[in-house]
Amino acid sequence: MIFLEFRALSTLPERVEEPPQEEPKEVPQRRGPKSTNPILEHRHIYPEFLPDPNPKWRNSLREKMERADMLKRRQQIDIPEFYVGSILAVTIADPHAQGKTNKFVGICIERKGCGLRAEFTLRNVVDHQGLEVRYDLYDPTIDKIQVLRLEKRLDDKLFYLRDALPEYSTFPLDMDPEILPEGTPVPVNPLKVKLKPKPWLERWERQELKGIANIEQYLTTTNRLNRKLRQTPWEKFDLMKQYRKTIPMEEQSDIWSEVNNQLQQLQMARKKMARKRTFTAPKTQLG
Amino acid sequence: MSTNNLKLLCTKFNNLKINYVITRTASNWKPPKYRPPYWYMPKERVLTEDNLTQDNRMFIKEIIQDKLQAQAAMESPLENISQTETMQWTPGKKRVGLIARKIGNYPMWDKDGKKVLTTLLQVIDNHVIKYIPPENFKPMIHKVKQPQEHRRLGCMLVGAENIDPSTVTKDYCGLFNSVGMLPKRHLCRFMVSPEAALPTGTPLYATHFRVGDHIDVRAKTIDRGFQGVMKRWGFKGMPASHGVTKTHRRPGNIGAGGEKARVWPGTKMPGNMGNRWRITRGVKILRINTKHNIIWTLGVAIPGETGAMCYLFDTVLPLKKHKTSPPFPTQPPLDNLPLEYYDDSIHEFESPTISFEEI
Repeated sequence: MIFLEFRALSTLPERVEEPPQEEPKEVPQRRGPKSTNPILEHRHIYPEFLPDPNPKWRNSLREKMERADMLKRRQQIDIPEFYVGSILAVTIADPHAQGKTNKFVGICIERKGCGLRAEFTLRNVVDHQGLEVRYDLYDPTIDKIQVLRLEKRLDDKLFYLRDALPEYSTFPLDMDPEILPEGTPVPVNPLKVKLKPKPWLERWERQELKGIANIEQYLTTTNRLNRKLRQTPWEKFDLMKQYRKTIPMEEQSDIWSEVNNQLQQLQMARKKMARKRTFTAPKTQLG
Repeated sequence: MSTNNLKLLCTKFNNLKINYVITRTASNWKPPKYRPPYWYMPKERVLTEDNLTQDNRMFIKEIIQDKLQAQAAMESPLENISQTETMQWTPGKKRVGLIARKIGNYPMWDKDGKKVLTTLLQVIDNHVIKYIPPENFKPMIHKVKQPQEHRRLGCMLVGAENIDPSTVTKDYCGLFNSVGMLPKRHLCRFMVSPEAALPTGTPLYATHFRVGDHIDVRAKTIDRGFQGVMKRWGFKGMPASHGVTKTHRRPGNIGAGGEKARVWPGTKMPGNMGNRWRITRGVKILRINTKHNIIWTLGVAIPGETGAMCYLFDTVLPLKKHKTSPPFPTQPPLDNLPLEYYDDSIHEFESPTISFEEI
């Protein structure tokens, strides 16, 4: 009885009122008008033009000066489009080398840094010895960066090549460049490498790598259990984390529209040079 | 008899009464009194809702814009003075400094191909607001008359970064109104020789310093809040294991016993870390941009986070002082300045790739 009295005093409705059913409207599919913006595609080719998203380090004027300096350097040297997994040849001026220049060929296993701090790492195996060289992309001692094979791999970082069989990171130093026909998308190499048995440099099983073929055969039950415990499957749904790691689209379009003109000119110049090179190549073969 | 006894008791009780309290203080020490300089005017204002109409707001904005334009169009007082009229520089003379904002770091390369990290300092709207000659400048007001001391440096007030006048007090605006300027966010005092005095309203630019000069930079360090002894003083802490409980990051002993059975003044203990004024001396200038008034300095040791304000002076280090005459008293505004100055040791980004010749 008491319960009922209190019920009568309550202002809450006795039954949950069902909201009036609305007819499903035809919602136009959300497709951002800028997502098709071709300028934004630059972020894959020139990732270092985007600043570090940490708000503590942002300053619009500094970023502008940095971009201007980068473009000035790009006028002097042709920095081609390349990705992690591409094979590069880098010629660098070295006061200690014979002939004062040094050439290194290897696979790009990492690419990081923003602005003038951008850097990439090449890996190769020479005389059964693994070698890794880290280059600054805008270092003025770099004489030439040549892409010998333009391709992507299945992962963003190829550090696991350090624990893989040496044939996966061995490339001849006199490799010839492979020319892709114009307009073709960058091919993704679906190669899966085989790892050497343990000990490893890192716990590769925890990193959700797609480019390793035989990892399961080396794992113990404890490894598998720990891998399961350490998984963070919710992180790909963490919108805030993604937001903090990226530059907003509006700011990106400002940046790209600022540098687009000069980048286009540089690209045209590179294409012209490439055409010349293909034309002159047979001559050298004849000679 | 009984009344006598009662009186006696009363006097005894009266003697027990406590009418006064003794406080123990050091007689010879008084807390320092904060004496703001006499030119100081309180800046912060309690912002109130003015209930202005949209038109009024627009009108105020317009006025500010007009004033800004008038300020930008104002001719520098130095333009009319020819170089010969100004005083000549001699090694002992003290010039005015600049107020700059730290806007970030990025690498540059020197001519040997070595990477050097640089700090970018932007000089924003620096103007001379006031000059007080040495004979008029008496910063301390003493009750007891002090013996006459010989002052040889004058006081120059420099302001940086224009702000909206409605956000600060009227008194503060008055400081700038007399020069015909909008109020500035930062106001700083520089001690200068009377020969280096500048007329009020003179704009100061990044070219006040030259490339290759060394400067002292005064700024507040990053505020790290209340920190323990390991982070603040670099103590080692205690072991992580081997039976150690509840004392891994603690300082351990803070004093001895016996005669010294107390905590000695100056003992390193936890407390607030950072947010102190610090001077980095002898920082080299590598590059100057005349359009945006940016100074690139060598190294990342400038105190403060990105966006912090810092004060730039000519260095006092004896080996890094000016050897030749710097722009004295300051660089007058010129139209035909090159966009960028580079130090001789620095590789310019627009110059061709570095190559080493065989010897």
